[in-house]
Amino acid sequence: MLDALSKNISDQLNTGILILDHDFNILMWNRFLKVHANKSDKDVIGNSIFKVFPELPRKWFERKLSSVIQLKNQSFCSWEQRHHLFELSHSRPITTDSDFMAQNCTFMPIEGENGAERICILIEDVTDVCHYQTQLTKVLQELALANRIDGLTQTFNRKHWEECLASEFSRAVRYKQDLALIMLDLDEFKVLNDTYGHQGGDIALIETAKSINELLRMGDLFGRYGGEEFAIILPNTDLAGAEEVAERIRIDIANNIIEFQEQNITVTVSIGVAVVNEQDLRYEDLISHADIALYQAKKLGRNRVCIAKKKVVA
Amino acid sequence: MSANVLICDDSNLARKQVFRSLPENLSTNVQLATNGEEALEILRSQNVDILFLDLTMPVIDGLGVLQALKDENIDLPVFVISADVQPEMQTRVLNLGAKAFLRKPIQLDILNEQLRTHGFL
Amino acid sequence: MNAFDLTEDQQDCLQELINVAMGQASDQLARYLDTFVYLKVPSIEQVRAEHLFDSLNEDLAATAIVSQGFFGYEGIRGEALLMYEPQDSHRLADLLGYEAGELTFDEQIIDLSSILTTTFLNVFANQIDNQMSYSAPRLLSGSLGSVNKHLQQQAFNWDLALKVRISYQVTDYSFNCDMVLLIPEEAIINIKTVIDRILAEF
Repeated sequence: MLDALSKNISDQLNTGILILDHDFNILMWNRFLKVHANKSDKDVIGNSIFKVFPELPRKWFERKLSSVIQLKNQSFCSWEQRHHLFELSHSRPITTDSDFMAQNCTFMPIEGENGAERICILIEDVTDVCHYQTQLTKVLQELALANRIDGLTQTFNRKHWEECLASEFSRAVRYKQDLALIMLDLDEFKVLNDTYGHQGGDIALIETAKSINELLRMGDLFGRYGGEEFAIILPNTDLAGAEEVAERIRIDIANNIIEFQEQNITVTVSIGVAVVNEQDLRYEDLISHADIALYQAKKLGRNRVCIAKKKVVA
Repeated sequence: MSANVLICDDSNLARKQVFRSLPENLSTNVQLATNGEEALEILRSQNVDILFLDLTMPVIDGLGVLQALKDENIDLPVFVISADVQPEMQTRVLNLGAKAFLRKPIQLDILNEQLRTHGFL
Repeated sequence: MNAFDLTEDQQDCLQELINVAMGQASDQLARYLDTFVYLKVPSIEQVRAEHLFDSLNEDLAATAIVSQGFFGYEGIRGEALLMYEPQDSHRLADLLGYEAGELTFDEQIIDLSSILTTTFLNVFANQIDNQMSYSAPRLLSGSLGSVNKHLQQQAFNWDLALKVRISYQVTDYSFNCDMVLLIPEEAIINIKTVIDRILAEF
């Protein structure tokens, strides 16, 4: 009675059951597998698993099964490492984008009649888990990105930008590499806001960020430091290199015409440039050198680049 | 005649297990050591007829004891009783001069058979 | 002394059970992997939830941790954490008998973890007339920083656990891995009952 009962239960299970002999021929399978593999008993029972499921990675599979037999231990294979082993249809063909059933497989040694070595493979449908986990991972990635980005200008926000600077600074100091910092501020932004309204000011910020972005190299780290203030970290860049970049940015922005409600807005920027030197102990020192140079640029009449003065040690 | 026996194992339970498995003629003069260093001190200063030695121990392990005995020309029959049953370990132990390798947990019939083989029964 | 402390005799007995399990497991492992596994005396101690991470990090700068739950009769259960050092990665596939590129690093350590945990615990269970079942092994984290975060962010629902640490050193491959078994409070009481039964026989 128990046999009939077990057969009944195993055919109702939403888990695939496959029993192999030690030559990897299929001795038994349950209804779940039959339905999802869409094959008939006569093509399956007694045949090698590699003939029935040619998609299996044969060498890997054989090594896996031999460990089960030799060590008499369970072995596992999760969808996180291999999405699926068997190409089976699944129960959410409409509401997920998965071609095949995502699977968690368990390989178990079992004893057949007369102590014969058999392997039982359990195949669990985890398409659901896989689907939601994949979505969750995507959302978490988006969230992590959103955490780093300034919503208006799509540049790094202050917090993330400062974290970048902190790590670039300690790297530069440790390996005695060049590191330059550019800080720039839109000139007379208050006047611009008063003239065109805040929407106009926003457009000016967005467009300025865009033009700067086009001039930067891979590896440069660009962020919005404050209201109308931006900052750029230039790793492995000396003073001359940084000054050249700053000058190009200044000219480019001054020449850029921003269209806003059928009016043409032009903006200019004042720029301070500093490079890391041996006296700098903290990344904040670098910021304050660039900030002083920026203030200098403003004082000298705006729309210009000023270089932080190198401190002379007596 | 009763022999002087030394059992060296860091586990109290394991020492008891060996002690209880010993035949009568070996169980009257038994000393215990909890690591290789203690065992070597006894072996250097006293006359011991047979040593039951564990391998995985703190301070000086079983291999260390076997090596020291060899280096110091202290010659006595050593029965290694260890859980470390890897073939390579068994070979190493026998190459270092042990009489026999017995696997833990110790089994009475196997111990007796080995003792008989080496003339202690 | 609290209810979860082991007496000297209980500790000694557990250590011997572990020694035997460790020995037989490494023998199986050595045969399967065709190499020699160097064994050290395992450490057994209690760990408080808030010190778990520090205690895990003591001897080994692990960069990857794989977790696998185990459960047997008589309420013997717990979680095994397999901790890997960073430099071990490149020859693992070689050791496991797979070809380079056939497995990702994650899959290699998950595979190896499962082998280490189940071979050890099967022998251990056998000695105390028990039988273990296992959950599928899971990679907790591929890097130390995130393991750290993972464990520190967690508010555990246990205060105290029994921690057994076993080091595997595969000399031919200069590969090290620590297996840490963590047994929660009620299961400690259950293990103590089993140990007392064994001690009563002596």
